[in-house]
Amino acid sequence: MNQEKAVLKIYRYNPEVDKEPYYREYEVPLDKAQTLLDALFYIQENLDPSLSFRFFCRSAVCGSCAMKVNGISRLACKTPFKNLVENSQGRPIVVEPINFLPVIKDLVVDHDPAFNSLKELGTWLEPKKPIPEKEYRVPPEEVKQYERPTNCILCFACYGSCEAVMDDPKYAGPYAFSRVYRYVLDSRNDEEHKKEMVKKAMEVGDIWSCVQCQKCIYVCPKGVRPAEDIQNVRGIAAEYGFKDYPGVKKLQHFVDWIYATGQINRLALPEEVYGVDPTPLINKFRERGAEVWEVPKPLPGLLEFRDLILEVMKEKKPHLDIDFHHVRKIDKRVEEVFKADVCTKVTQHFEEKKESFFQRFWKKLGEFFGTS
Amino acid sequence: MLEYDILIVGAGGAGLYAALWASQNPNLKVGVMTKVYPTRSHTGAAEGGINAALGNVAPDNPEKHAFDTVKGSDYLADQDAVEIMTQLGPQIIYDIEHRGVPFSRLEDGRIAQRPFGGASFPRTCYAADRTGLVILHTLFDQALKQGVEFLNEWFLLNIIHNGERVLGVTAWDIRNGGVHFIKAKAVILATGGHARMYWNRTSNALGNTGDGTAAVLRAGLPLKDMEFVQFHPTGLRKTGILITEGARGEGGYLINKDGERFMKKYAPEKMELAPRDIVARSIEREILEGRGCGPEGDYICLDLRHLGEKKLMERLPQTVEHARVYEGVDPVKEPIPIRPTAHYSMGGIDTDKYGQTSLKGLYAAGEAACISVHGANRLGGNSLLDILVFGKIAAEHAAEYVAGVEHLPTEGSEYVKKEEEFIKSLMNKEAKENLAKLRKEMGDIMASKVGIFREEKPMVEALNQIRELKERAQKGLAVVDTSKRFNVNLIQTLEFLNLLDLAEVTALCAIERKESRGAHYRLDYPQRDDENFLKHSIVRKNEDGSLSHGWKEVVITKWQPQERKY
Repeated sequence: MNQEKAVLKIYRYNPEVDKEPYYREYEVPLDKAQTLLDALFYIQENLDPSLSFRFFCRSAVCGSCAMKVNGISRLACKTPFKNLVENSQGRPIVVEPINFLPVIKDLVVDHDPAFNSLKELGTWLEPKKPIPEKEYRVPPEEVKQYERPTNCILCFACYGSCEAVMDDPKYAGPYAFSRVYRYVLDSRNDEEHKKEMVKKAMEVGDIWSCVQCQKCIYVCPKGVRPAEDIQNVRGIAAEYGFKDYPGVKKLQHFVDWIYATGQINRLALPEEVYGVDPTPLINKFRERGAEVWEVPKPLPGLLEFRDLILEVMKEKKPHLDIDFHHVRKIDKRVEEVFKADVCTKVTQHFEEKKESFFQRFWKKLGEFFGTS
Repeated sequence: MLEYDILIVGAGGAGLYAALWASQNPNLKVGVMTKVYPTRSHTGAAEGGINAALGNVAPDNPEKHAFDTVKGSDYLADQDAVEIMTQLGPQIIYDIEHRGVPFSRLEDGRIAQRPFGGASFPRTCYAADRTGLVILHTLFDQALKQGVEFLNEWFLLNIIHNGERVLGVTAWDIRNGGVHFIKAKAVILATGGHARMYWNRTSNALGNTGDGTAAVLRAGLPLKDMEFVQFHPTGLRKTGILITEGARGEGGYLINKDGERFMKKYAPEKMELAPRDIVARSIEREILEGRGCGPEGDYICLDLRHLGEKKLMERLPQTVEHARVYEGVDPVKEPIPIRPTAHYSMGGIDTDKYGQTSLKGLYAAGEAACISVHGANRLGGNSLLDILVFGKIAAEHAAEYVAGVEHLPTEGSEYVKKEEEFIKSLMNKEAKENLAKLRKEMGDIMASKVGIFREEKPMVEALNQIRELKERAQKGLAVVDTSKRFNVNLIQTLEFLNLLDLAEVTALCAIERKESRGAHYRLDYPQRDDENFLKHSIVRKNEDGSLSHGWKEVVITKWQPQERKY
């Protein structure tokens, strides 16, 4: 490719007139365009006025011009043209509408379904009563928490890159869950409404379909991190006590087993999440001569050591809200399998608290390593 | 046929807020029409903040705020309207805060306020450096909650009326193509400003083309104070994209080609932080007198290098990004090329302090309206307040009005036919002119002759040249794309025709005002002349297409005009 001109290969489709989509190539002089959006304007103004695309602010704040550029969803107005040309290494730059939304014409897609998700999930504030005469008092640390998701400009680049959307047409989209998270964090929001939003995120939005591929974080032009926000909303669903969802059960499994044994238990997982009995699978493995332990085998003293760590965590990080009841259940199971006495003394430590924590810690450490 | 009690045109801050208040009454059928989607509106680009006399950081009251506004307006603002705005300020802030706007906070949890241009006390409430974005999105979320009905991607064509009251509007459905008549008892125009008439030297979005303002002109109704356009001092040279006032606030220098901090000549005390119109004029003067930077000497430099990379990335990340992406310059290593950029339209649709025009049932609010609360120059942070206060007031008055009227038996087919014929004529014309070329010419004429420094002869030339452009457009500007669906070419052509009309009016009003006041500065009349020109300019289009120019009283309640010194 000539140093001075770049070739853009653009998706064209007018459902009124064309039987099917096609691609057309256009040459754009490098010095005529600072951004990809400029290049599209060049084409429209000089080569082909029938090219349709959306635009408005041209400064990455309105979200109108999201499109797929060489396969990746981006804002046209924020894509430096020179870099794009260099990275294309002599090949035509392919410009297409973003994925998963119906094409209206050329690069213009129907945004209505994407906006409707927000309405369905209820992403707004229901002011908590009593409504103060002046402003609610909100600590600055809280506002910092939702500073990131409030940068979202609803460009839908994340939606067009999302693996869950590709697989599950019902999936609301990363931006929708970021917005749920933002409104759940807001202390001014009515508690019942927050629960409703999270419930809708699961039942209507299919939040558990997210596979954490992180593409949304990669493509977001405003630095929003939807995959992280999704993880957080899932955790909040568990906190709200929505027990009856496979996703919540899986989360609970992770928490319980990792606190108890340091790892998840892939044999117990299907049972705890979907109620699927693992015995046939275990038997199959044993038939073929594999040694199957239904729970990890503990070292002597390890579980007591673990209890101390959990105790520290509970004191230092009270918000983790460690439920020893679940840990105890797993301990009992370990006991059953190994016919060993591993039930430990966490409850005792809480009740007695006679020795200081560090005294007990060093004592246990010594016992564990066989010194005294 | 679509039918509403109240039709709101425009879904930015003013339109959305009006919709929220209007739809509280379940008996009213309210619709909001926008040529984009609501969250794309230009309110989302506002960065600085929204003013209100909350008194959270320093003792303050609405009267002080009102005085600052009146003084900032160079005494052209209507003081009764200003007082309404500043009185309602605090309650409006609390209202949008209750709806969820994530304002930045003080340690004790109250809304934070910071100092801003022309304000005697820190009264600008803000949300980091994207206040407009969060207000717009919060109002949109609330509109979803209240089930507001939207007509997205519908373009306003004309206001339909019978001489006495409004009947509705004609509009083009951008997505599917086709003209429609929308019947409405009341219409609130919230279509934004028109600084795009300075096509290549503006901070505005590409669609800020004053469609509502131009439609009002076509309907034979008055526009007010059209000569007043605010030029923000620091816009990026290539694109006009705004570089925030905060960059100077953090210690940036303005430098000419001799490496001089030239503001010491024009405002030795305040230097780079003098009021916007003064800084804009200083920069422009340096360029015109040959001390501009670069091979063509057409810009000056905003130097942020001495702030250091760490501070820059912490306090001004948006600025750094904009400079890198849109100017190709790294502020850590090089100075940023800067020119004043057309930013805000003080003038617009003539309304009273309730948003009413002289046509019953037709209202205007937001940047499209000129009440006037900003007079000859707007203070930073007052626009976001203006759009919300008067969006609400217009909605309340419209609601009262429609309660007492019935729809008139208009079917609308004759209006639709007229528009269809017009659009067909645009498409059937022989294409002799190029839209982009004409637009650039308009932008160049306006920027060079009806810009920051004005003088009789160049302005008269500009008026004639604009009229020539109008004729050329009439004869040879055609809509070349004839597809029905999402015809961007058609929309951009209609927008350009709107801008041409508004440019003509702006030039005319600038010529008639033979004084300097606020943003309107004349080299041949450099002083303010209260005796002859303490009045609003009024312009309307007659049946035969000619323009009539006149004047209107300024309402003065408390503050007699004084010399405007900072």
